Amino acid sequence: MFYIHHTACISPQQTFDNINIEQLHDAVNNKLLAIEPAPQGIPPGILRRMGRAIRMGLTSAMSILQKISAVDGIIIGTSKGGMEDCIKFLNQIMDYEEGMLTPANFVQSTPNATAGQLGLLTKNKCYNITHVHRGLAFENAVLDAAMQVKDHPGSNYLVGSVEEISDYNYNIEWLGGWYKNEEVSNKNLYNYNSNGSIAGEGAAMFLVNDVVENAIAKLNVVKLFHTRDENLIKTEFLQLIEKFGEPDLFIIGESGDIRDNKYYEACELVIDDQTPVARYKHMAGEYPTSSAMATWLACHLLNSSSIPQHILKRGNVADKNIRNIFIYNTYKGKQHGFLVISKK
Amino acid sequence: MHSIEPNKHLVLSRVFVTGMGIISPLGDNVTSNRHALVNGQECISILSQFPSRFAGHLPCGEIKTSTETLKQKLGIVSIPGVTRTSALAMHAFKEAIDNAHLTDEQLQLSSTALIGASTVGGMCLTDELYRDANNHTGSGSEYVTSYDNASATLFLQSQYKVGGIINTINTACSSSANAIMYGAMLIKNGFAKRAIVGGADSLAKFTINGFNSLFILSHDPCTPFDKGRKGLNLGEAAGFLVLEKEEDIAGKKVYAELTGYGNSNDSYHASSISPDGDGPYLCMKRALQTAKLDPKDIDLINAHGTATENNDETESRAMIRLFETPPPFLSTKSYTGHTLGAAGAIEAIFSILKLEHQEIYPSLHFKEPIESTGLIPQLKYKQMQVRHVMSNSFGFGGNCSTLIFSKS
Repeated sequence: MFYIHHTACISPQQTFDNINIEQLHDAVNNKLLAIEPAPQGIPPGILRRMGRAIRMGLTSAMSILQKISAVDGIIIGTSKGGMEDCIKFLNQIMDYEEGMLTPANFVQSTPNATAGQLGLLTKNKCYNITHVHRGLAFENAVLDAAMQVKDHPGSNYLVGSVEEISDYNYNIEWLGGWYKNEEVSNKNLYNYNSNGSIAGEGAAMFLVNDVVENAIAKLNVVKLFHTRDENLIKTEFLQLIEKFGEPDLFIIGESGDIRDNKYYEACELVIDDQTPVARYKHMAGEYPTSSAMATWLACHLLNSSSIPQHILKRGNVADKNIRNIFIYNTYKGKQHGFLVISKK
Repeated sequence: MHSIEPNKHLVLSRVFVTGMGIISPLGDNVTSNRHALVNGQECISILSQFPSRFAGHLPCGEIKTSTETLKQKLGIVSIPGVTRTSALAMHAFKEAIDNAHLTDEQLQLSSTALIGASTVGGMCLTDELYRDANNHTGSGSEYVTSYDNASATLFLQSQYKVGGIINTINTACSSSANAIMYGAMLIKNGFAKRAIVGGADSLAKFTINGFNSLFILSHDPCTPFDKGRKGLNLGEAAGFLVLEKEEDIAGKKVYAELTGYGNSNDSYHASSISPDGDGPYLCMKRALQTAKLDPKDIDLINAHGTATENNDETESRAMIRLFETPPPFLSTKSYTGHTLGAAGAIEAIFSILKLEHQEIYPSLHFKEPIESTGLIPQLKYKQMQVRHVMSNSFGFGGNCSTLIFSKS
């Protein structure tokens, strides 16, 4: 589908500068907040008015865009974009009884604000789009990028995702029963045997094109499904294995929410029992576009000599040459996405 | 920067429109919408369906059917968490799939895609969202999973078990134009055989106050392209189109071919368009490139035409840059108001109606041209030869899109 040349990831772990994913940073009050680097390449005047989601999205994207002259399209996946701005404006409406309000939060409240701001900052007048399909926003952004790359040979696309934890979306998701009631440690996220996960956030960006030279990884396929039938997921997974071979590493989106375990178990059962299985939500937390963080992790592991022990659910990678990684994630047991990433 | 030329070696499927569905202030089906357009019947009225400081005096393109009545008509009263946006979406979706004679089995195939779009999504329930978002102790409302933009698309997916690629797009006011474009790309690239594409948005305290804080709401019915224009009216609507590939349309009624699409970013300002309309110019030009057409081939333009000071002047400049003398154009927002995430889809339908019936509708409330551009929109209903229609949608964040529909 396409080759990945540059990556950048802001997450609750040390994934942006001086990458160190051996050491785990802790969740506080069931939230894994991103480690925000000092933004670069963003004028202070714009930065001041910017919500966290847009700031993380811009900082991660600019670290890539500063490396190349220009891109031919900006494709972002985000479920909600800047929720904080959105509710700040909503609170203004209610608290001031629809009086005279300031528009800054309103303008930044639309999910396309990150892609729009990137276009504005880099004076990029090319293809610009934001996919907001909740737990499959990133997968759709990837599919869009794959179609753009195929339709426009020789072009470069920035594809990525961003999501933030705000008090407001935390409340809404908590009311919906998607976070654990008891305070938990992310180090033991998978051992609580209860509903719900912990909140996460982050931004991950990728520079992609159809050029194999100097690529760090290749995205072979993206698949997305809406179902509550784990057998359908198993069947699709088997078809992917048939087509792309047995994975050297299988990264799953297990979140600690026991309601989702059946989907992951269905897939784990069909692969070789020696195939290592890795998890990432104790690093990133749960959020709709977390599979973008998993994609970054896959790119990192394909080009790294060691794999942290804490991500392994089973299996041994000590003497393995990791060339072919499958990622499977479900969001709330209804939306399902597969990504297959390999060495070029 | 690379020149982004399309891949000449790819043989891509052609994409045709085989079904349409719409609910707007003009009526709850395609026929009644056309009737209002033919008769120049503006449907801007005073806001009355929900409590707000603006109710009783602000003109809006409001659908006068209550959410409860809509849900009764659709047989979905007992389903919890269905917002007005979702109900409007289902209404239009149903008409579109019936119109294209899609069966339940076809909808459930993995080759059937559904691409929705919205800007306000479930936030039409502004008061409920306020309570849920600021509540960290009690229990939530039935709407806690329905506030985001994806909620209407996901609702349609579960109602009809649509089996293929499902997506929701947000590019502010051009959202559903991009949903149509994405659906067409899926078909052309072999990821779907058919795609149901469109968008829905309902009037909300959130957007009314948002546009009011930007001082771009008109307190009279809007007057697109008029020198004295005072801003936009907000509206609500839903529109869906069924797109199918050439190989699958034998024996079907075909309304139009989707021949062109273009997307650009204006990269000028978060909420206004650059003085020369760079974004609008580029997306119109790119749509012509994908359609392999010249400016002179375009017979009509369904302009974005929101009637804000900024939009109409910059869109006019962009049209003049591209066409020198633009073909007949109008803004149907003078009938419906600006229906935000639904606008691209309902205006695509209005454009296709012009092709199907070989006609153009009058743009309403225009008096005097903008001095610097001198452009006059179509002012009378007229039958005319229409082969290619262009439809423009521009949004916050600089997101500009153009679609071209052609007579099949």
